[in-house]
Amino acid sequence: MRIPCPYCGSRDSSEFSYSGDATLTRPTPDNADAMFDYVYLRDNPVGLHREYWYHAAGCHAWLKVTRNVSTHEVIEAVLAHDEAAS
Amino acid sequence: MLDLAYISAFSGLRSIGDGRGVIARERRGIAIATVMARKGQGTALAAAVKEHFDINLPLGPHGSGSVSTSFLGTGPGRWLVTHDAGTPRFVERLAQQLEGLASVVDQSDGVGLLRLTGPALLDVLAKGVAVDLNTTAFPAGSVAVTQIAHMGVTLWKVDETPTFHIAIARSMAGSFLHWLEASAAVTGLVADG
Repeated sequence: MRIPCPYCGSRDSSEFSYSGDATLTRPTPDNADAMFDYVYLRDNPVGLHREYWYHAAGCHAWLKVTRNVSTHEVIEAVLAHDEAAS
Repeated sequence: MLDLAYISAFSGLRSIGDGRGVIARERRGIAIATVMARKGQGTALAAAVKEHFDINLPLGPHGSGSVSTSFLGTGPGRWLVTHDAGTPRFVERLAQQLEGLASVVDQSDGVGLLRLTGPALLDVLAKGVAVDLNTTAFPAGSVAVTQIAHMGVTLWKVDETPTFHIAIARSMAGSFLHWLEASAAVTGLVADG
């Protein structure tokens, strides 16, 4: 699997570390039940999914990758930093 | 301030095999620094680099330089700076010039630099680098931060001879030479100086 890093270009997935589900929003710390769900309960979706990947062996940027988890087709990768700013 | 004695990172570099497929030379006495833009200071940083060095700060994975100083894009808001004119306290001065705009960290004693060239260079690099380094995908001036045999490297193409410069953490220099010797032995590796 190759990931199209917006900064570096197409790179092998071995340069990245998977860093979790990018569709979740971190709850406020005082909501213990929501925090428990956020930290421990994982969905196992089929098809298109958005994930965080960290380009550890490259530009050290965090990416949001849209990927088909059934076929491993990578649809899109954007800098998480850019998306957070927009 | 005490000046430390210079010790070569690649003193183990030696010729191996027959032929001149890859020619390697250590780049010595280079001032090296990482520069990371402070939050929201990207535009001001580019202006300061233009003012002090007459260099257009590259926004992608490219190098941009004058005769002696290069700014190499290594990530969003991150650059590796090399300076080979021997200016005393270059990194210290750079940090002052970019004060408030970027974090500057001296890497001169932490990074080893090699200059690689030779007719078999692209074939040899292909044994370790999972990035297309041919002219169309990677023209002169391109920079790649990637890994060779699990070792983090920053490499950039200087010209289409091709000549590459490669930066490696100096604690990895011995292992990197091992990889280079093993990969270039079949075409011949020449230690040039």
